[in-house]
Amino acid sequence: MAREEYPQLQETLLHEKLDNGLDVFILPKPGFTKAYATFATSYGSVDNRFKREGHDEVRVPDGIAHFLEHKMFEEPEGDIFSTFASQGASANAFTSFDRTVYLFSATESIEKNVETLLDFVQNPYFTDENVEKEKGIIVQEINMYRDNADWRVYFGLIEALYTKHPVHIDIAGTPESVRSITKEMLYECYNTFYHPSNMSLFLVGGVDAEAMMERIKANQSRKNFGPGGEIERFFDEEPEAVRTPRLVTKLPVSLPKCMFGFKEIPGPQRGEEAIRRELASKLMLESLLGASSPLYQELYDDNLISDGFGYEYNTGPGYSFSVIGGETRDPDELIKRVTEALGRAAESGIDERIFERTRRKRIGSYLRMLNSPEAIASEFTRYRSRGGDLFKLVEAYESLTIGELNARLREHVNPSRMSASIVRGD
Amino acid sequence: MITEQFERGSIGRMRLHVLPTKRFKTFSLSLFVGIPLTESRATSVALTPFVLRRGTSSYPETISFREHLDDLYGAGFGFDLYKRGDYQIVQMRLDIINDRFVSSEEPLLKEAIRFLGEALTSPALDNGHFREKYVEAEKRTIAKRIEAIINDKIRYASERCTEEMCKDEPYRLLALGRKEELAGIDAASLYSEYRSWLSEAVIDLYVSGDTTLEEIESLAKDSFQLPGGSPVAYSEPEFRAPRVEPQTIVERLDVAQGKLNMGLRTDIGYASADYPALLVYNGILGAFPHSKLFVNVREKASLAYYASSRLDGHKGLLTIQSGIEIDNYEQAVRIIREQLAAMKEGSFAPEDLERTKAMLSNQLRELQDSAFERIAFDFNNVLSGSNRTGESLLQDVTSVSPEQVTAAANRVGLDTIYFLRDRKEAAANG
Repeated sequence: MAREEYPQLQETLLHEKLDNGLDVFILPKPGFTKAYATFATSYGSVDNRFKREGHDEVRVPDGIAHFLEHKMFEEPEGDIFSTFASQGASANAFTSFDRTVYLFSATESIEKNVETLLDFVQNPYFTDENVEKEKGIIVQEINMYRDNADWRVYFGLIEALYTKHPVHIDIAGTPESVRSITKEMLYECYNTFYHPSNMSLFLVGGVDAEAMMERIKANQSRKNFGPGGEIERFFDEEPEAVRTPRLVTKLPVSLPKCMFGFKEIPGPQRGEEAIRRELASKLMLESLLGASSPLYQELYDDNLISDGFGYEYNTGPGYSFSVIGGETRDPDELIKRVTEALGRAAESGIDERIFERTRRKRIGSYLRMLNSPEAIASEFTRYRSRGGDLFKLVEAYESLTIGELNARLREHVNPSRMSASIVRGD
Repeated sequence: MITEQFERGSIGRMRLHVLPTKRFKTFSLSLFVGIPLTESRATSVALTPFVLRRGTSSYPETISFREHLDDLYGAGFGFDLYKRGDYQIVQMRLDIINDRFVSSEEPLLKEAIRFLGEALTSPALDNGHFREKYVEAEKRTIAKRIEAIINDKIRYASERCTEEMCKDEPYRLLALGRKEELAGIDAASLYSEYRSWLSEAVIDLYVSGDTTLEEIESLAKDSFQLPGGSPVAYSEPEFRAPRVEPQTIVERLDVAQGKLNMGLRTDIGYASADYPALLVYNGILGAFPHSKLFVNVREKASLAYYASSRLDGHKGLLTIQSGIEIDNYEQAVRIIREQLAAMKEGSFAPEDLERTKAMLSNQLRELQDSAFERIAFDFNNVLSGSNRTGESLLQDVTSVSPEQVTAAANRVGLDTIYFLRDRKEAAANG
């Protein structure tokens, strides 16, 4: 078992890669009552064309990773929520573009709950009947999002930016794609992506790390998964240009919602360089668009933005883009003002004092985040999947230069790779 | 369980609650300012924190105010507005990292308390009242927030259900107040409302982190310029009986999914000896994925993605919410009413009781790991005049009997059924 100390943060992380390929991480938090565990597979909505070693290439219906996540909670003896509940644990799961994560939090019977988590995810139980029954529930989930203006404007932007890359496909799919899913397809996806060598277990909280690791190893050695086999994922080549510069959706809203952003030609996908690029992008956007930036205040004073105005930098396998915006009385005026300001900043460079202040702010938010076991588990696995280390971000932030930010800004802000998504009632 | 306890003191009108602990990397501060919710004042009270966050006497420009927070290692500052019992409460929060993790010139805790004190009691002024520019801009902001409620149909349906259920009480009002009132408010009138708010409100300051009551007393003394007087306490809310015959309200908007909400009333409040039984009741009924609502509406009938119940022990309200296919309205209402009836008859499995207790116990233990959650839990006592600790409530929950749950169920009554649906005329009369 490897032990990594982070003295500045007063954290210790234990790691072991088990014989079956499963990565296990434990972050003990002495004095904490609660433990929080995530069991995650590198499999999300974008993995819709793939080939398992020794099998044919397959293409699966949209929304199947999310459907699979729903169905995992059903076991032959009933709903796994009840088992967790009797053990005092609160369980949940979510599916993103590139990950599916199962989780629980508990304050007692932690070892037992970890085993329940491993056992239910490693025991698929799909029948024609239970697959059919789930469709009604998922269609209601899709309908709920259809009525949600924030989701529509956000997803509308990704649809406007991307033509080929499956990131533009709704994570839950459509009512039609969901209705076409069968138990055979679910098993195919399960057998491809739920092998321990494609998964990681992260446990944080008031736990005895050594005993826990032994228990996990014993659990895993009782099961036989066979060899993992290589997984190949196929993505059609994404053109450099955006699919459409403007996408308008009609939905009753009090004020138009507008989000716009730039699609990048993907840079390095993994490793230190990829992480630096991500941090520099976020710092750059915060310096220019954050709540303490001159631009933000100007737009607020002119009644063009509300408190919800913000930005996001989103990156994953084969995609990276920014999302900028919020609700506004005048989407076109907002886009014009922001893009002009970004263009001017690209010429003049970012103010040195603003850069330093923003860096300090990001380091502070990062340290505050370390109070939250949920955030640690989620961010740790995300950075790890990109070949980075969450606990080394302070050093990374400290070593960023304003030159890097300016270079990032000039590369990112490219008007020919910009789209806007607008939701409005009229 | 953790043994750290709050230490209490007061400075003038403000009560202090300090939780000395070394477990977190931060200091967490919460300030609660509450006055009775009334038609005449709700809007100006709601507008006040929006204006206060624009600038203080030391940082009168919003941009310098926010830059200062960034300089304090990105201190997290924010505020919330909510209704608790018959009160309208403004909560200001500040979360700041402990100096030992960074090389900081100024002691961050001291700076944080000074900042919070200024934000509440020493705002940016022009000619002896609030800055006109800030008041006008924040009037627009609050109007937009009120208008935006309809964008989120889950929230909208929930607010509308409460409004219909409580239409004869101030509780029908939004915590954000009334849009129509905004036009009549100006910088001078708001400032005078603000001064009387400060002199009448119940004020509680909570601090958690590596500190002591003595340190907070000495820091807060110099940082808060409050009107004189001594602390006042919250008084008990009015618990109303449900309507004899539940009312049904149907509203039409352009929606893809129907939102079915129900409002129920109980006379059991947070301070009541029967509250633990009511908590267990709500747990078996709808608070968890093993609860009756989730299992029967979602898992068995596949009618919904979400179906749950929520308890507000400070006002004696219980609400049920679910998103359904519009044509399934009658079936969903029937299934939910069956669950309510089953609870009244004491028809629930011993396993459901045990699971619910285990889940509630877990929640009560978990909150010990979050400074802000511990503060929120303790503030429930302050609000209701009770004296519960996480441990005592946990023990009380554990010892609840099935008969007590059934007794609690019979003190909960359905008052309002609210359905938000599409504009199409359906064959089945919604």
